[in-house]
Amino acid sequence: MTAPPLAHLINELTKLPGLGGKSAARLAYHLLKRPTADVEALASAILDVKSKIFRCSICNNMTDVEPCVICSDTRRDPTVICVVEEAFNIPTIETTRDFRGVFHVLLGALSPLKGVGPQDIDVAGLVRRVQAGQIREVIVATNPNVEGEATALYIAQQLRPLEVRTTRLGFGLPVGGDLEYADQVTMSKALESRREI
Amino acid sequence: MILERLSSENFRNLEAAEYRFHPAVNLVVGMNGQGKTNLLEAVYFLATTKSFRTARTQSLIRFGQSYLFVNGDIARQGVTQTLSAGVDPGESRRVLTINAERVPLGRYLQSLTVIAYSSSRLEIIRGGPEDRRRFLDRGIASVEPGYLERLNRFQRALKQRNALLHAIAARQARASDLDAWDEEFLLAAIPVSAARADYARRISALLGATVDRYRYHVTGLTLRYLPGGEASGDPGAWRQRLQEVKRQELRSRMTLVGPQRDNVAFELEGRPAAEVLSGGELKTIVLFLKFAKLEHFRDETGEAAVFVLDDIDAELDVDILEAVLLNLPAATQLFATSAKQSVISALETGPHRRFAMDGGRAVEVSEH
Repeated sequence: MTAPPLAHLINELTKLPGLGGKSAARLAYHLLKRPTADVEALASAILDVKSKIFRCSICNNMTDVEPCVICSDTRRDPTVICVVEEAFNIPTIETTRDFRGVFHVLLGALSPLKGVGPQDIDVAGLVRRVQAGQIREVIVATNPNVEGEATALYIAQQLRPLEVRTTRLGFGLPVGGDLEYADQVTMSKALESRREI
Repeated sequence: MILERLSSENFRNLEAAEYRFHPAVNLVVGMNGQGKTNLLEAVYFLATTKSFRTARTQSLIRFGQSYLFVNGDIARQGVTQTLSAGVDPGESRRVLTINAERVPLGRYLQSLTVIAYSSSRLEIIRGGPEDRRRFLDRGIASVEPGYLERLNRFQRALKQRNALLHAIAARQARASDLDAWDEEFLLAAIPVSAARADYARRISALLGATVDRYRYHVTGLTLRYLPGGEASGDPGAWRQRLQEVKRQELRSRMTLVGPQRDNVAFELEGRPAAEVLSGGELKTIVLFLKFAKLEHFRDETGEAAVFVLDDIDAELDVDILEAVLLNLPAATQLFATSAKQSVISALETGPHRRFAMDGGRAVEVSEH
């Protein structure tokens, strides 16, 4: 029998993505062993994030300043918008340092199974930004799965009347890897999107 | 490809012994219930991670045990690999390894192709449309590595689109929400439909040629791919078909065109083969179909699949069976079971290994 406060913590932890009962229990027991100060630091960091972080009014990125540091960076090109599903996709693209445009976070992808329709993701905000003018290109960087593809198709349909250049991220081989380890779908996608050298 | 060695643990009543197979012909004899079919089933399981007798994996595990695995050595183009397929209660999926390294299902299935004939399984002709779709899918997947992935994508898109049709009917979504999903659905559906149509055409031609070659009296048999909801052709034609059925789809809350409704018609001069043919004729036709699959695999990959033939006594025309077995694609490794001691003289005159099964183990292995 697990003591009720401990059971309560384990139950809360299992609500986190990727954590099952066993992992949650391991984390809970680990927290118990840590010094009180460490646990307080973790608890206050969690509370802090909830009270100080909000969505950027322009791009929906998670931020503590309005607008976010990317939208307010004058060295960036505001005429190129990269569209991602979630705010946590931004750091992945940012670490490349190759993209110097701005972002638009959809806050999800179309998924009727989860009850997510066009009204539940922020395509309207993207359309407004394009309508406001001066956008040269929209790069759709949704996930390469069924939901991400349908979302990309929906975005393309919504942007068509606005006549803005709309592109989809390319599919290709992982760089630095060996050809022999590429799975067949990636390989055929890479063949499909081959280019002249 | 040649299965050189096989061993198993907790696979039905098979004893955890090691079997070393002949590269050409392996005959498994014994009374009923002594493990003949179980040995062939283990071979089939190693290749497909499934059984040709049951859909319930649990029934493969020896009574009172919780896990099973089968492993074997496959020689292919000069390279030998060790495959292992297992069921473990702690794992939601099969535990699949190649040379002791975990691999995903799609890659695992590429390592060994086994085509099985079992006289008790005539679903291809007698069963429902889902059995025939499975027949097409397994055949295509064995020669086209990316097919399973495409099939998964299609099934996911179909689920999403059906969920949306439900939501629209319940007024939780707008009909215009379908536009994006229609497009995603047909992008996912067309490659599956095209692959099935092509495969059915190829198998039908090979089946016809096989019937002619053996001068079998049942001629004029065709296998025709019937695209679900009559959707075929280019994306434009699919789009139009989707538009035509849209109102009906909104009423029935499900997608009415596409591979989920595909069927295959086995017909004899326009009539369903299942109604016209006798039991023995059906079995022979199914045997021819397997032969067509073997040839198709050979044509596509340049290699010979392993052929598993369960219970050769049952109502099969022995003369035809002999002729078929002597004409298998070159280098085809064969596994056959029989309750009789001597059935196929044509095989017994050539080099082969014979396994006499009793109580789940080979009590006698002899080389001929």
